[in-house]
Amino acid sequence: MGKPAPSRAIAKSDFRRVSEQVWELPRDFRDDMRAPARLYADEALLEAALTDNSVEQLVNTSTLPGIVKYAIAMPDIHQGYGFPIGGVVATRLPQGIISPGGVGYDINCGVRLLASEASVEEISPFLGDLASALYHNCPSGVGVHGEIKLQDAELDKVLVEGARWARRRGLARDEDLEHTEEFGAMPGADPEYVSHRARERGRGQIGTLGAGNHFIEVDAVTAVYDETAAERLGLLPGQAVVQIHCGSRGFGHQVCEDYVARFQKTVHDYGIELPDRELVCAPFESEEGQQYFRAMACAANFAFANRQALAHYIRRSFEEVLAGKVPAFDLHQVYDIAHNMAKIEEHEVGGTRMQLCVHRKGATRAFGPGSPGLPDDLRDLGQPVLIPGSMGTASYVLIGTRGSMEQTFGSTCHGAGRVWSRTRAKKTVRGQDLRQELESRGIAVRAGSMPGLAEEAPQAYKDVSRVVDVVERAGIGKKVARLEPIAVVKG
Amino acid sequence: MAGDLGFREVEHTADRAFTVRGRNLAELFAHAAHALCAIQGQPAGTQQTVRREVEVSGVDRETLLVNWLNEILYLQDVHRESYSGFEVIAISDTSLRASLRGEPSASSRRTIKAVTFHGLEIERLSDAWEATIVVDV
Repeated sequence: MGKPAPSRAIAKSDFRRVSEQVWELPRDFRDDMRAPARLYADEALLEAALTDNSVEQLVNTSTLPGIVKYAIAMPDIHQGYGFPIGGVVATRLPQGIISPGGVGYDINCGVRLLASEASVEEISPFLGDLASALYHNCPSGVGVHGEIKLQDAELDKVLVEGARWARRRGLARDEDLEHTEEFGAMPGADPEYVSHRARERGRGQIGTLGAGNHFIEVDAVTAVYDETAAERLGLLPGQAVVQIHCGSRGFGHQVCEDYVARFQKTVHDYGIELPDRELVCAPFESEEGQQYFRAMACAANFAFANRQALAHYIRRSFEEVLAGKVPAFDLHQVYDIAHNMAKIEEHEVGGTRMQLCVHRKGATRAFGPGSPGLPDDLRDLGQPVLIPGSMGTASYVLIGTRGSMEQTFGSTCHGAGRVWSRTRAKKTVRGQDLRQELESRGIAVRAGSMPGLAEEAPQAYKDVSRVVDVVERAGIGKKVARLEPIAVVKG
Repeated sequence: MAGDLGFREVEHTADRAFTVRGRNLAELFAHAAHALCAIQGQPAGTQQTVRREVEVSGVDRETLLVNWLNEILYLQDVHRESYSGFEVIAISDTSLRASLRGEPSASSRRTIKAVTFHGLEIERLSDAWEATIVVDV
């Protein structure tokens, strides 16, 4: 399919430096590009990106029909499949395409942040028990099933209502929905376009964490950079907070599989030539494109319901361990964001407002102040953005800016970004040693798999602080607070 | 190329990838299935108390290979089984019939989310067939 990728490696000298943090490969860098490719990075992060195939993958995404402005990569870019992780591509509707591989298998993988009324000092004496309760109450592992089992009719409600379904089941508060991207329910979902197989894989997996880089982490707020914004989000120095990182589980994997396999033929039907079969796509307005979008929205809602059920289990764990010991420990939801999604949004391109299909693959929506879709109480502030770091290092809370709206279709980075392969991490780091090292620093660790823990060693990732500094200097995100882990739960 | 199972793992930053080889398409597909299970940490010599017959189709060889491997992940997931025996009984460019042997696996520790098409091409070498497969973990 399509023309082959270039055989020569992409070098730093191939880029034009647009600004201190923005590097561009011009449209004529490769014959099949339909737009330039832009990478947000400092020099060291650019050099890191050139050590694997991620920049070639970025160039591949610039060939997608209907792309506007640029193919964009964030400073946490690393090699994925099809799209690089950290990639953003917007296509103009109605002619532009939608690509299942541009969203990925873990549809609406995302992050939720809950902030406790308790301080780290107050919960520290009970940290081990709290970590054990979280591990016990939040089932983990790729194929694992949880305590909620859904028949088809109830599962359909999850797929349409997302976190609103969880609210009806007593697993959510109104404020949780208000502080969730898309208010916890992605519009356009239609279960008719979801396969029986996806249902089979998903029906027992609401309220489960998964494996790989998914985690639950209890953190301390260790720095506040913007006191006003932090106060508005309910974040104070020394406070205990909880992050959840997970997605749509086997349900989302199957939805993506179904459509990537089906689009292998569809792409030929529409005469679309691509440099990589994982980028297969269909015009958004086509029957196939619409069916994928509606199935993807179901998976997104599955993920919102999943993180909501986990939030409920986390509140239950705090209650089990801290009731009667700590005076106030309730958890309020700061925000919940998606970082694998394709969404219909309106943005200004070349002075014209236009409707776009924005693909974010390992990138976070970061809408600036006054943008539509923000909760009433935060509309003038901008959207909270949650950037988890590697295990044992730091994470950041940012807010979206006008700069992200102008430059990156309201998008910013999503994490630290890997630099080591999982194989190298396991060869270099022993899971048991890593656990001991983390525990010697006062971090409680509960993990289902020691090799799995080693794969996620902090050495395998870029420096998240450096990544976040680039997006702040580029004006596509503003730092609010820094979080550091005190307990880590992994599958 | 590693011994009996006919695959070797290759470096990939975020996910996992392996190159697999076989003397013919049937062997290539069987070796790819072994590789999929081996990199999930499932031992090759487990008991084979469960047998499943599968039929898979695809628009071309590459799609058939991805669909075959995803079929195994799907069966692992919904039946909570792990497989170690793979016999490709009949294969063309667009369909295959095969049997899987394995055992119930109560504690699911499956680590692969899905098999991708990224850069996938089944190549015919002078004396073998070869493909490099990237899986999402």
